[in-house]
Amino acid sequence: MATFTKEMVENYADKLLIGLTEEENKMVLEEFEVIDREIDIVSKIEGIENIKPMTHPIDDFVCELREDEVEQAVTIEELLQNCDDVKEREVRVPKVVEE
Amino acid sequence: MSYVDKSIEEIHSALKEGKITSRELIEESLQKSKEIQKKCNAFVTIIEDAKEKEVTDHLLSGIPFGIKDNYSTKGILSTGSSNTLKDYVPFFTATSIENLEKVGAIAVNKTVLDEFGMGATGTTGHTGIVKNPWDKTRMCAGSSAGSAAAVAAGVYPYATGSDTGDSIRKPAAYCGIVGYKPTYGLISRYGLFPFASSLDHCGALTRSVKDAAIVVDAMKGIDPKDMTSYDSKDMHLKEALTGNVKGKKLCYIKEICDKKMYPNANKELKEHLENFEKVLENAKKIGMEVEEVSIDKELLKASASAYVVISCAEATSNMSNLTGIVFGPRAQGKSYIEMMKNYRTEGFSPLIKRRFIIGSYVLQKENIDRYFKNAQKVRRMLVDAWKDLFKKYDAVILPVGSGPAKLLDGSLDILDENTVILEEHLQIGNFGGFPSITIPDGFVDSLPVGLNITGNCYDDENVLNIAYALENTMEYKNQIAKEVNNG
Repeated sequence: MATFTKEMVENYADKLLIGLTEEENKMVLEEFEVIDREIDIVSKIEGIENIKPMTHPIDDFVCELREDEVEQAVTIEELLQNCDDVKEREVRVPKVVEE
Repeated sequence: MSYVDKSIEEIHSALKEGKITSRELIEESLQKSKEIQKKCNAFVTIIEDAKEKEVTDHLLSGIPFGIKDNYSTKGILSTGSSNTLKDYVPFFTATSIENLEKVGAIAVNKTVLDEFGMGATGTTGHTGIVKNPWDKTRMCAGSSAGSAAAVAAGVYPYATGSDTGDSIRKPAAYCGIVGYKPTYGLISRYGLFPFASSLDHCGALTRSVKDAAIVVDAMKGIDPKDMTSYDSKDMHLKEALTGNVKGKKLCYIKEICDKKMYPNANKELKEHLENFEKVLENAKKIGMEVEEVSIDKELLKASASAYVVISCAEATSNMSNLTGIVFGPRAQGKSYIEMMKNYRTEGFSPLIKRRFIIGSYVLQKENIDRYFKNAQKVRRMLVDAWKDLFKKYDAVILPVGSGPAKLLDGSLDILDENTVILEEHLQIGNFGGFPSITIPDGFVDSLPVGLNITGNCYDDENVLNIAYALENTMEYKNQIAKEVNNG
């Protein structure tokens, strides 16, 4: 069983650029403990070490490649219509390179 | 005289015979949308300027429908019921919606869901809780809560839904209607906001199996924009509904259905299971064989945790484009990092922050084998167990949940260990991409309950025909919610 701490939850949230309140942190911490307990049981299922992980629901799925044909692209105006800060054809953000 | 609460074929006949026009249907549906919005809070957007369409020979032409708000709709607000996309207006329409619109269907509203589909209660959308039209003190379940409420209330004959764990099939049961999630890839997911891509399915909520077949016949089809979609032109769901099921074989799982498994069962659970047993008798009367099978209880119990791990991991990956910089309401910040953090911190509800952090944790290099890979192994074991059943049986039939809709007060996504398998087994349909349909099968305390039929991949016609035949042995086809408690 793993040991979970408030700081650990903070760290994983920070990696996702998500801030948590004290209450939210507590909720995640409690859930971690539940999942860890369950996974502990799972890891003891007989023969699980020999099972191949399933990543996709359809095992016999055949991926067909389409022809490499030019298609009509989305216009820049459409792409930018949901952006709150635009200058001409660019998305404006705070200066990235510090002086 | 109301028409939008009738079956699709009845509405189509009325249109063809000139008893009503497409314009009048839209007006009726918009009026009902407003009434249901006041009662149940089912909609993010009501499309007041919905335009009538020509009535053709296609059964869906000229008829209104609803769209879950995680389907992209060009020029119409599409929020995923999240504050992070509260002003997002797509520049394209989801393929399955385009398919419906091409045959003349008319969208009249966008329905509320749990934020990005990541909930099972219908209580976490940014516009508030969705209430059950049968009883306003109860939930619709989720995530397709608004779609289920609206169809059950008779706003239109159908609405689209999406299903990653049971998000079409559980709300259908709680609202006394039909919820159908076809085989993975039958309906293109292009334009559906992704939650967990290997589990996400599009589908429909209707009031009868035939209506579900008609709607999915129109939504499905191969799509160059979704490489997991496939060519199903030889699959004709409506035509497959013959009602002849003689010799078909069903099985139910002892560990899920046997009353002895629940020594402390409450009255609701007992009645729900007894009700289910009656339907099994109905199945035998119409010529089907029904057998009890057994599956390792520990494996069944592992399903819920495997689901949490896999779905959270995939969700974490899918949320990376939610920055608030290119789209979404931009947050303040001195740097782009600070802007993104503020956007996510302020925009996401606590419940989905929880999912993302769990997802991040299980994907870390040091954790991936213990959590993510083990969960994927459980997924395979469960899918293999179901595939073994499908070698002998046409479908697995099981009750949905542990009774009727849960009360809104005090039941927020908390798992009860005693009934966890009963509540969560529908996830196995997503693990294996199986066609799976919920139909109403009776009442407990004057509230609807449902059962589920799940078959092997690509066997949608057979699954729907079995559901159709069983539906005909009961009296719940095309039922409209009758309010038993207005809160």
